[in-house]
Amino acid sequence: MFNSPRGYLTKVFIQIFLRNRQYIIFSLLLPVVILGIVGLNDGEVDPVEIGLVDNSNSVLSKNFITKLSDNPLFTIIEGDEEDLKEDLINGDLMMILVIPLDMQASNKTNNIKLLVDKSQIQFIETIKPVLNQTLLSIEREITQEQAMFELTIEDVKSRSQGYLDFLLPGIMAFMLMNLSIAGSGFNVVEFRRRGILKRLFVTPIKPIDFVSAIVVARMIIVLGQLTAIFGFALFILDANIVGSILYLYLVIMLGILMFLTLGFSIGSLAKTQETVGILASIFIYPQLVMSGVFFPLETLPEYIQPVAQVLPLTLVADAMRSIASDGLTLFQVHPDLLGMGIWIIIGTLISTKLFVWKEVAG
Amino acid sequence: MIINASNLVKSYEDPKDKSKTFNAVDGVSLSISSGEIYGILGPNGAGKTTTLEMLEGLKDIDQGTAFINQIDVSLNPYKVKEIIGVQLQANEFFDNMNLVELLNLFSALYNKKNDPIELLNKVNLADKALAEANELSGGQKQRFSIACALVNEPLVLFLDEPTTGLDPQAKRSLWDLILDLNKSGMTIVITTHNMEEAEYLCHRIAIMDYGKLIAEDSPKNLILKHAPDKVSEVVHGNMEDVFIALTGHGLRD
Repeated sequence: MFNSPRGYLTKVFIQIFLRNRQYIIFSLLLPVVILGIVGLNDGEVDPVEIGLVDNSNSVLSKNFITKLSDNPLFTIIEGDEEDLKEDLINGDLMMILVIPLDMQASNKTNNIKLLVDKSQIQFIETIKPVLNQTLLSIEREITQEQAMFELTIEDVKSRSQGYLDFLLPGIMAFMLMNLSIAGSGFNVVEFRRRGILKRLFVTPIKPIDFVSAIVVARMIIVLGQLTAIFGFALFILDANIVGSILYLYLVIMLGILMFLTLGFSIGSLAKTQETVGILASIFIYPQLVMSGVFFPLETLPEYIQPVAQVLPLTLVADAMRSIASDGLTLFQVHPDLLGMGIWIIIGTLISTKLFVWKEVAG
Repeated sequence: MIINASNLVKSYEDPKDKSKTFNAVDGVSLSISSGEIYGILGPNGAGKTTTLEMLEGLKDIDQGTAFINQIDVSLNPYKVKEIIGVQLQANEFFDNMNLVELLNLFSALYNKKNDPIELLNKVNLADKALAEANELSGGQKQRFSIACALVNEPLVLFLDEPTTGLDPQAKRSLWDLILDLNKSGMTIVITTHNMEEAEYLCHRIAIMDYGKLIAEDSPKNLILKHAPDKVSEVVHGNMEDVFIALTGHGLRD
């Protein structure tokens, strides 16, 4: 296999990439850390720390505080209003509840004051309904009234999966993108700038041999890196994969091929190492936000959604998640695969059109 | 004639005025016979490297024709590449690979097998066999670069300013190597802007300026023709000979 010039070049590329220990170690560090954090946390939300000032000090207020403390969502810290305010400003507390002096179980509505730090507004907006609900249920318990409705949440896909299992395919897809882009575009620009490409093309090797050698070598390296991360998630963090591992790997290989060709396009567009860095950032970061890997697609503005749906990372992440979490087959994710195929064609066209092989001196 | 080029033209967009083009190589014709050391001399930007790169199949030939060993360079660049050896001005190699591995790689790219140590012996680098190319000194790098150019036992060896930036010892050692290779029958095409080098090595010299060949002859005839008065005054060596005599021929790196 390694006897032809192309095969030998492939072997040499694998050798070179593997010998760059620093790169191998650091490229694995980021995903392992992200997965580690998610895996150890596994979707459980830390209780919110709430300061509480009991000005009333009545039976009713004591009852209220006990009920609130029983809720696993909150940790209640009682104290003096001034002290607690300082903690709030320091960021040690999320909010402070102030129970009025004249709290009583009469028909009168008791006004509980909520002191907040407005910079946490987003979080407070999410926590307010929970807090309201808690107040309501405490009220019902105290007044012995029966609640009329109760909400139980059930997953229609009835999966027995944790937060990690949902995140894993997305993180793998993101890793796959980073590793492939960094492995193709940067290499080409660097080889060209240093005249290494020119030295290679003094020999009878053809551009297609060079490209296929680097694609195959990178494919093997990235597959190895992803397998290491995958193994870490499966065996150390105990993640679950519902679907076929074979399908998953086929999608991964197609994804690597797609990002390698797109990376070559970036490398062809860029003349210097600095430009390739910027172009890669322009390519990577919007996809990070718009691909649904870390943030749900539904939170995006309406007009961006159609664009977000066809981004390379969205396609890979969606196909991987569908297979890994929902157990779909390759045929069921064929729209994603088709989209990836189109990106591969686009990437190949751009990199062959724009990369002037004859003038590799740069 | 092993190399036959006629009316080679390479034109580029004029950087000052994009609507115009200028010819980096402007109608160059060369005939080089087998076993010759042929020098192309000229100031920076004269078009020496571009001429070589067109002959080597690295740059498209815009106009004119070039044949090496009867093979048309434009039509069969890969066939030509198989019979030539090239040393480029930039001598960068892959990181994390030693000289033996690099020589094995270059041999494999020609689908050949070579004993890397034998090649390294030829260029006096056997003791550096396990060093990385990028750790070599300037002179060593040039010699290694020539070793890489020899993996396919080329009929023609192209050397692009091989001694630029080398100290006198390294330069002399490279000259010896070039003469040795030539003695074994290899045709050598060398560019330089070092007059002494051209005079010492070349059987024939072409002088290029502004993309054109302005003179072509043996060094002796060129001197007789263009500087007849001065030649009678030169009865002794030059300063470099003095330096070499005093500091010795031994390599310093």
